[in-house]
Amino acid sequence: MRKEQTLGEVLAAKGVSRRGFMKFVAATTSLMALPPAMIPKVAAALENARRPSVIWLPFQECTGCTESLTRSHAPSLEGLIFDTISLDYQETIMAAAGHQAEEALAEAMKLNDGKYLLAVDGSIPTKDKAFSCIGGKSNYDVFVEAAKGAAAIVCVGTCSSFGGIPAAQPNPTGAKSVTEVLKEAGIDKPVINVPGCPPLPNAITGVLAQYLTFGQLPELDHLGRPKAFYGQNIHDRCYRRPFYERGQFAETFDDEGAKKGWCLFKVGCKGPVTYNACATIKWNGGTGWPVEGGHGCLGCSEPGFWDWGGFYKPLSQGQWGGWKTLGVAAAAGAAIGLASVAVTRSRQAKARQEAKV
Amino acid sequence: MSAVATEIQRLREELRDRGATVKTTELPAAERIERVKDVFRRRIDANMATYLETCLHCGMCAEVCHFYEATGEGKYTPIYKVEPLRRFYRRELAPMGWLRKLVLRDITPADLDEWQKLVYDACTQCGRCDMICPMGIYISPMIGVMREAIAAAGMQPAENKALAKEVLENGTLMGIGPEDYRQVAADLQAQGIVVPLDKPKASVVVLMSAMDAMLFRGAIGATAQIMNRLGLDWTIRTNAGDAAVFDWTSGDERAKAAVLRKIVAETISAGARTLLVPECGHGFAALRWDAANVVGTELPFEVMAISEFLGREIEAGRLKVKPLPAGKSVTYHDPCKVGRWSGVFDEPRNALKAIGVEIREMESHAKTNYCCGGGGGVVLNERANKLRAGAFHIKMKEADATGAGSVVTACGHCRMTFIAGAQNANWQKPIESLVELVAANLA
Amino acid sequence: MTLLEFARGPGMQWALVIFLVGVVWRLVGSFLLARNRDLSKPKGTAYAKAGVRAMIMRSIPPHELEKNIQFQHLSGYAWHLGFFATLLLFGPHVPFFKQFLGFGWPTLPNIVVLVIGGFTLAILIALLIRRAIHPVMRQISTLDDWISVFLVIIPLVTGFLSYSHVEIGAVRYETMLALHILSIEVLLVWFPFSKLMHMFYTFPSRYQVGVAMERKGVKA
Repeated sequence: MRKEQTLGEVLAAKGVSRRGFMKFVAATTSLMALPPAMIPKVAAALENARRPSVIWLPFQECTGCTESLTRSHAPSLEGLIFDTISLDYQETIMAAAGHQAEEALAEAMKLNDGKYLLAVDGSIPTKDKAFSCIGGKSNYDVFVEAAKGAAAIVCVGTCSSFGGIPAAQPNPTGAKSVTEVLKEAGIDKPVINVPGCPPLPNAITGVLAQYLTFGQLPELDHLGRPKAFYGQNIHDRCYRRPFYERGQFAETFDDEGAKKGWCLFKVGCKGPVTYNACATIKWNGGTGWPVEGGHGCLGCSEPGFWDWGGFYKPLSQGQWGGWKTLGVAAAAGAAIGLASVAVTRSRQAKARQEAKV
Repeated sequence: MSAVATEIQRLREELRDRGATVKTTELPAAERIERVKDVFRRRIDANMATYLETCLHCGMCAEVCHFYEATGEGKYTPIYKVEPLRRFYRRELAPMGWLRKLVLRDITPADLDEWQKLVYDACTQCGRCDMICPMGIYISPMIGVMREAIAAAGMQPAENKALAKEVLENGTLMGIGPEDYRQVAADLQAQGIVVPLDKPKASVVVLMSAMDAMLFRGAIGATAQIMNRLGLDWTIRTNAGDAAVFDWTSGDERAKAAVLRKIVAETISAGARTLLVPECGHGFAALRWDAANVVGTELPFEVMAISEFLGREIEAGRLKVKPLPAGKSVTYHDPCKVGRWSGVFDEPRNALKAIGVEIREMESHAKTNYCCGGGGGVVLNERANKLRAGAFHIKMKEADATGAGSVVTACGHCRMTFIAGAQNANWQKPIESLVELVAANLA
Repeated sequence: MTLLEFARGPGMQWALVIFLVGVVWRLVGSFLLARNRDLSKPKGTAYAKAGVRAMIMRSIPPHELEKNIQFQHLSGYAWHLGFFATLLLFGPHVPFFKQFLGFGWPTLPNIVVLVIGGFTLAILIALLIRRAIHPVMRQISTLDDWISVFLVIIPLVTGFLSYSHVEIGAVRYETMLALHILSIEVLLVWFPFSKLMHMFYTFPSRYQVGVAMERKGVKA
């Protein structure tokens, strides 16, 4: 890959038309919640952007996030942009392997010290650093070293953003999110969380596009997520919302309500507490998204979603312990009540006996 | 001023003066509280506990209480009048009492002073609140417990202390005792009404009441006439004591027990099947519902109110009455202790119908009847004059609204309250006694 | 642990345990006290019938007793019915009960529940104001009364705010939902220590008074 080319040149070389490019710019601009007046600026900035160095480190992850990105809208402008960034280290898709790969990483870090964008997928084990190693180095050490020289860190997926599935109870590896490890290691770097299991490819490319365009990070919410993609509630944007309002719910996955496309709240949809753009951008080239496929939202872009008591447990249910626990509670109440009665009765009996009327 | 009203006023004053002379050593505060608590501890049972647990403070009971309606003052809310009882229960008997002790303060002597006025002046234990409570709380018996507790602490009104002292020491009520009963009987004999006194055996024992002896001798004569007409084997035992069982309302447990035991013993010794209580509401309720519990066994005789008895005898055809000429309309005032406390509603009305009077019911009648305002001894309590007048005003309005020519009742206490109240309010409605009305129309 | 996780997890568990321990404790502790035996001769003995009758008839007082309290009476009916309709007939609430019972039931459209809930809230606030200004209510109200009404109002308020998905500062839906669930949990924890226990005491108490009055020959 030639590092000197601008993005515009690369795209032109790949045969992307001006019209196609402008369409992408318009879409990205709107996704970033910028006014239409900004479109020419974004286009100019993108065309002239230099290819930044990106180092992508995988830790405890399933590669689903990479899959999401590489399989998106193929062939697409997002994919092409992904092609044009200088991806100096990405285990899954890089040609190099073993020592060569590690050398490439070391070189990229040295060459672009302080300037590279660090993309992370997967959470980092902290209970025993040896739980996950690459080339004899623990994830923790690799990450800390890479983080020190990064301009900013993009957490791709829920694992790096919030801990994810590896952090699910009882969290045997002590898996932690990037933010937590940075705090522990005392490193202060800007972090963008792009959670999701996996995240929408558009969210990843959108963040990169904004970084390329303006050289700055997008506006983030209180969980460090770009507001442009995570600012809206799934339930608020859900096309099944009218059924919720009418009180029409699927009770099971094969009942009449499910067939009619009614609200999935009662079969565990977490849309009401999930902030993501699935309902508007959709997946697989805009063809659909989980709720459209008949399955409730899992809340995968939210911290803790893996421990919410089951994907099919409605939000209005919780931990109640079962009748046995409640039975024990009632029995305990009865025992205390009987003790209280015994004391009171004996006091009263004594008073009645001693009364001289 | 009618003679009876004058006499009632005199009684009140006499009682007040006697109260002032009662020497009582005031108990130390801690002792008073302990005595109050002792009564509460003995009296509260699971039923009362449920009532005390369930109150919501909805305030509905106030809206049917004549004392609240007359004054608009929140402290006259019926359930508030038993607040010390509730407080004691919640702190010392209820489950989680130890927890409540953290937030609920103990009863103080000042509380007793305050509640003494509430339960003696501002409650007639009429039980109207018992009929509305949406939680089904039986409030009026708890007022009785409050009075007992306050009396046990020696904090009841001086008038009540004087009466209890008299009962315990002399066995008389307002100075009326066996001698006076004999005098009344002799006077009636002189009028040609036979009154069999102190028969060793009789199937019906009829009680005499001091109030009747002083104020309403006509009622005694009427009762005797009816008994004679029925040809019953009856007697009045001069040693039985007074039907008024005043200490049942005043809360003095010892005096109440003494009176009830004496009456029960006399009735048993006469071998009577029936104890007939004259027109005296409290006496009837005390004997009907409390006597067995005080003596500790079921009673071997039946306790009847004269109004209940009249209705029953007339319906059974044993007592023949002649109808009055058409045109007399009356309204029947249910004495609370005979009505709501004892379920005697139909019998007096049937008796009235039998003598051909038109009964025009008040809006609140039978089980929702308004009290006259003088029950529970309030009629003799000078301190309660204003409260009683307010309550009586409500009664008066309801009676007036019927357009009936007179008010008939079957309780001397109510009769006193009506007469004194009418005097105060310059109300012209005649007040009649059921037993007198029936006796005057025997066929 | 987020607030919502706490509310749906240990919060719910502990609230239910405390509720049950407390309710059973209090009921056993009062119902099993000694019951005085009444030796007087009863006038009527159809106790069960009278008790059941009182349980029903206490909801329908005679006019002459009710005429001063019609507002109170009807508003009492209205808000109780409204509260339970909101609780039981709002679709998303049903799974909460289903987790215990294993079955659900049909519910009302949200707009209907909203209107009922709003009406309920309005009555509760009116009754709260009445409690603050009416001489009787001022006299007899205790901290328990204020806290209990407040704790019944809060779930309605947080319910509305959750439903409407409004953001109040940093409080978004998930937090509001957590507050809503927590408000119910606080209500459950408060329940056994408060006058809310009337839910369990009312009918036994009515039954008792029905029986007591049957003994005396009066229809309670």
